[in-house]
Amino acid sequence: MSNNDIQRTVTVRIQRFNPDVDKKPHMQDYQVKMWPGMTILDALHEIKTHQDGSVTYRRSCRHGICGSCAMHINGRNTLACKTPIINEVQKNDTVTIGPLPYLPVIKDMVVDRTSFWEQYLRVKPWLLPPDDIPEKEFRMSQEEVDALHDAEACIMCGACYSSCAVIGLNKKYLGPHALLKAFLRVLDPRDTAPAERLEIVSQADGVARCHTIFNCIDACPKGLNPTQAIETLRKLAQKRQQYEEARRERQKHLNEPIPS
Amino acid sequence: MLTFKIQRWSAIALLFFLTVHMIFMHYVPPFHITFDVVQARLSTPTWKIIDILFLFSVLVHAMAGSYQVITDFESAFNYRKALAWASIIIVILAFIYGAKTIWAFQL
Amino acid sequence: MYTSTGFISWLLRRISGVALVLYLFTHLWVIGAANSGTQVFNARLDAVQTPIFKLFEIALLAAVVYHALDGIRLLLIHYFDLTEYRKTLFWAVFIVSAILTLAGGIAILAIMLNGG
Repeated sequence: MSNNDIQRTVTVRIQRFNPDVDKKPHMQDYQVKMWPGMTILDALHEIKTHQDGSVTYRRSCRHGICGSCAMHINGRNTLACKTPIINEVQKNDTVTIGPLPYLPVIKDMVVDRTSFWEQYLRVKPWLLPPDDIPEKEFRMSQEEVDALHDAEACIMCGACYSSCAVIGLNKKYLGPHALLKAFLRVLDPRDTAPAERLEIVSQADGVARCHTIFNCIDACPKGLNPTQAIETLRKLAQKRQQYEEARRERQKHLNEPIPS
Repeated sequence: MLTFKIQRWSAIALLFFLTVHMIFMHYVPPFHITFDVVQARLSTPTWKIIDILFLFSVLVHAMAGSYQVITDFESAFNYRKALAWASIIIVILAFIYGAKTIWAFQL
Repeated sequence: MYTSTGFISWLLRRISGVALVLYLFTHLWVIGAANSGTQVFNARLDAVQTPIFKLFEIALLAAVVYHALDGIRLLLIHYFDLTEYRKTLFWAVFIVSAILTLAGGIAILAIMLNGG
């Protein structure tokens, strides 16, 4: 790719909606000259700073860890700060940006994430550790860590939640984000309440509502796999008492070194 | 989870029953179906049993599936209990009707 | 709306499922004519075996085949970790469904044209 390609001007088509003046959302085009390494978030900053200060979006860390800038870019959900604009330019030299789908739009790219956080809280996303805290650390084996499939890397950006058609139909569905977090806690040997958590996710709006559409995996900017987490929870939910007993047994040895 | 399990088990049963049913109804002679054709088949105990079990599996799968589809909508989600009971009643009534019809065939 | 291969697969499964439920109850009613005697039964059965209904039969075959194969895909995903192959599985279901519908449909038409 030559420098000529990168420094060309592209059209950034943004979905605008100002509840004070607009009856419904509409698209607005801006011309942006790309520079090497420019991300979608950089393009939005460029537009807001130099062209139209009213463009509104959430952002913070700009390097993929805070989860604030999840948006709908060219038909899929991803983080604006981690998406190079050069990869998104379509044949007609346009990049289309909109808010995350299925959530009420507050203004432009800012959406109301109330249902997202409500479902998250329903699974008790915090660790419930044992009462006796060790002097140094709890010991987990490499197998136990691997079984989590990096689920702790989730940054709660909402890309998965907002790509799920089941969420589109029912905001009371727990959702891939909450179920992934429940999976993280259930499989954590330090957690004392796996049976209770499995009970929560077995409710009618829990794991049974996942129809394996797989949009969540495609959307996740961290490459996580909520669907597989949900399948695992489905299996474990059927044997929750045995699982809890095995957990109690495991926790008797949580402070001991792992045998090699 | 219960609906999920019912759905899965009836689905597995249907993989067998539906294949048998489709092959014998469409691809095994006689191809034009009349009362006599049906009577000849359903008078035998084997086919009576197969079709009654098939009827039960398909009704359970259909109503569990309909229940899932309807309760996927947030507005219907709050009426889950009523919808579940309606589904069960439909299964029972349709099954009684169908099983009686099948059982009544005799040469 | 967030469209993708998975979304289309789910939508088709749902549409075929709803169509099949409606068909099921119609079918039970048609066969239920047996309770009203041979003549009523044969009249009803003749009405639903005319050429236009043979086309509906092919549509029914398509719905059943797709729904069943997608259901098998779900069973596989339930028991094995196949998320890596999700796109392949979606396309396999579409393609095998198309092949079976075509084969079965041609057979139905052939049987019909040969006088049943």
